[in-house]
Amino acid sequence: MTNVYLLDAKQISVQSPLVDDWMDNPLSYQEPYICAIDPNYKQYFEPNMARRLGKILKRALLTSRQVMEATNITNPDAIITGTGLGCLENSELFLEALLRDGETLLKPTHFMQSTHNTIGSLIAIDAHCHGYNSTYVHKGISFESALLDAFMQLKNGQIQTALVGAHDEMTPKYFDLLQRIGYLGNTENSFSGETAISMMLSTKQKINALCRISGVEMLYHPINLKESLMRLLDEVQCSLDEIDAVMIGTNGLPTNDRVYAEICPALFPGKKLLRYKHLFGESYTAPGLGAYAAATCLHQQRIPAHLLAPLNPPSGRKSSPPEGDLGGFKHILFYNQFENKNHTFILLSSCGK
Amino acid sequence: MKNFLITGAGIISAIGNNKQETLAALLEQRSGIAPLRYLKTSHTEFPVGEVKLTNEEMRQLLDIPETEVTTRTSLMGMLAVREALRHCGLDPQTPQNVAEMTELRIALISGTTVGGMDKTELYYLDFFEDNTKDAYIATHDCGSSTEMIADYFGIFSLVETISTACSSAANAIMLGAQLIRDGRADVVVAGGSESLTKFHLNGFNSLMILDREPCKPLDAHRAGLNLGEGAAYIVLESEEVFNRRLRVKPAMTPLKPLARLSGYANTCDAFHQTASSSDGEGAYLAMTKALAVANLQPEDIDYINAHGTGTGNNDLSEGIAIQRVFTNGVPPVSSTKSFTGHTTSAAGGLEAVISLLALQHDFIPANLNFSTPMPELSFTPYTACHCGLDPQSPKLHHVLSNSFGFGGNETTLIFSKV
Repeated sequence: MTNVYLLDAKQISVQSPLVDDWMDNPLSYQEPYICAIDPNYKQYFEPNMARRLGKILKRALLTSRQVMEATNITNPDAIITGTGLGCLENSELFLEALLRDGETLLKPTHFMQSTHNTIGSLIAIDAHCHGYNSTYVHKGISFESALLDAFMQLKNGQIQTALVGAHDEMTPKYFDLLQRIGYLGNTENSFSGETAISMMLSTKQKINALCRISGVEMLYHPINLKESLMRLLDEVQCSLDEIDAVMIGTNGLPTNDRVYAEICPALFPGKKLLRYKHLFGESYTAPGLGAYAAATCLHQQRIPAHLLAPLNPPSGRKSSPPEGDLGGFKHILFYNQFENKNHTFILLSSCGK
Repeated sequence: MKNFLITGAGIISAIGNNKQETLAALLEQRSGIAPLRYLKTSHTEFPVGEVKLTNEEMRQLLDIPETEVTTRTSLMGMLAVREALRHCGLDPQTPQNVAEMTELRIALISGTTVGGMDKTELYYLDFFEDNTKDAYIATHDCGSSTEMIADYFGIFSLVETISTACSSAANAIMLGAQLIRDGRADVVVAGGSESLTKFHLNGFNSLMILDREPCKPLDAHRAGLNLGEGAAYIVLESEEVFNRRLRVKPAMTPLKPLARLSGYANTCDAFHQTASSSDGEGAYLAMTKALAVANLQPEDIDYINAHGTGTGNNDLSEGIAIQRVFTNGVPPVSSTKSFTGHTTSAAGGLEAVISLLALQHDFIPANLNFSTPMPELSFTPYTACHCGLDPQSPKLHHVLSNSFGFGGNETTLIFSKV
């Protein structure tokens, strides 16, 4: 039986970049539109590269390089990327130039960096990786689609290592549009963030691996969500009782949070519910950051109090201290839904078990 | 690997709105590349491979009311998926299929890069003026086109969207095989859809790789590509599932699998964002790995449906890679982009269906507009003018299809007779 390990992950988001400071010193925001905190790229890239690449590309490249370095896997067998909107800024620049200046004076630079797969191919070019390279672009399940592809290939022995990335940038104009159609909020509880997270998966465990990925499931308009969850747990011989906590995607928007409020008590009765979008904000690939947050909790064997979702009943059946050592803390289930159409599960397990 | 049956296929492109019209155009060597007619752009100097239907005509064919929000990418996708589902006996509009379909886990995997850009470029300025076009904000992203297609049929329990530029649909087909192998889906409908837009027409023009004449793939005087549009999907299922469906529904017995997907590989050239390496390393690796997956030797391949865009760079790089793989002689090679134009993200789907038609009817599609051999290559493309259904036509057993994308995303698929 092949295991899949999440060896390490590096992020650039609205929390402090490239570190896990959000565990103990989370930054909080009151405005609805927050950009990622970029590190000083001059420290990492040659000046012309830093100038030439759009921000999503810089973030993706730096997090990828760092996770490859940290895991000493410089030539992963696969590079698989999830991105809901791809290189949004360059697409917007090219489109606006087209509509403003007409069809005759366009320069290729923005177009060349506008396709979604620019991200994955940039990483491959940088690291000279000739292996499998694919990009998933499906709204709020783009990250899980990429993860599932890697997971299947690792499990069946086609590959031994995979760099999985989840990347999305936001622009002020697109933020306005998405806010207008209700995907992003404007309340003080809800904000739009940006995502860049690169993870290294491997079939071989290494010291300090964050966790195992035990199962991944994706569903569209599921008829019976409970049955699907039970099938997933059965396959990996894990019972619902053994799940220590469930990480969910509440983001402060009533239309989104209502779905979790309805589903969670039925699906995971009495389970401790954790959140991550209060830290990282909303973006199509925010689930990548959520899975990383869950993995970090498993690795450090603790759950900071700020991660507890407001949906938790005042006194759960399995009451436990809000923070601290959870002793033998083994499984966190990650559950994401997008517009109550797409539903995904990721079962993360501590390396020990 | 012998287990991925292809039991249905649907296609719409510049050379026809279904398989039958496509086959006829291929056999009669009738290209669909023509002056611009449907896309509103000032670049009328470029011939294109447009689907010869307006959005309204497609709505009528699909019985979709004018009030419903759609994009050209999703409309073409619906038409091709409907043909594929009818072909394999799973059309939900046939009531007796419904019970069967609720028991099957059916996945839709679609490749696209344009997504809803056709509407975004039309209404972008309106978005900031008033709210009359707000419905099209949500249809912009790639995933929306897949969900619009999925929701039209209402039978899919897993949907995913892939964008690896011009190899998107080929990668969708490859993922389909993985999902079946992993037991995550019983039946997978996989392919891609891409409409023409001003956005990418101007993008390709800014890269100076569009030909003002009908494209001349694999020709010494090739001067660039013609963009096209279209959608094509195939239905994949395991032999077990197909046989079970036959047992449950004996009326289906006349249905025969078209072929099987015997090999696939995805590699990365890792050379440049918009150019291919001079030795075609990524393409070489993709073809070599796909042959290994299929457990075939290069000599086993009877026909190569090349990526063959007609650009100086692609055709040279791909040609060299083909020579490196087929050291004991290159089988017939043609690029059917001389018929359809380069349909970018949908190309892998279109060329999969064209490869299946070639296998089924034992003919080799011609490479149109060829006159002068490329001095760098030892082979010339297949231009024979005989119509394939005659008894002299070659017997095809294995067809290899290449799809290469910007960024060096290279995918090779191999289709074999059952």
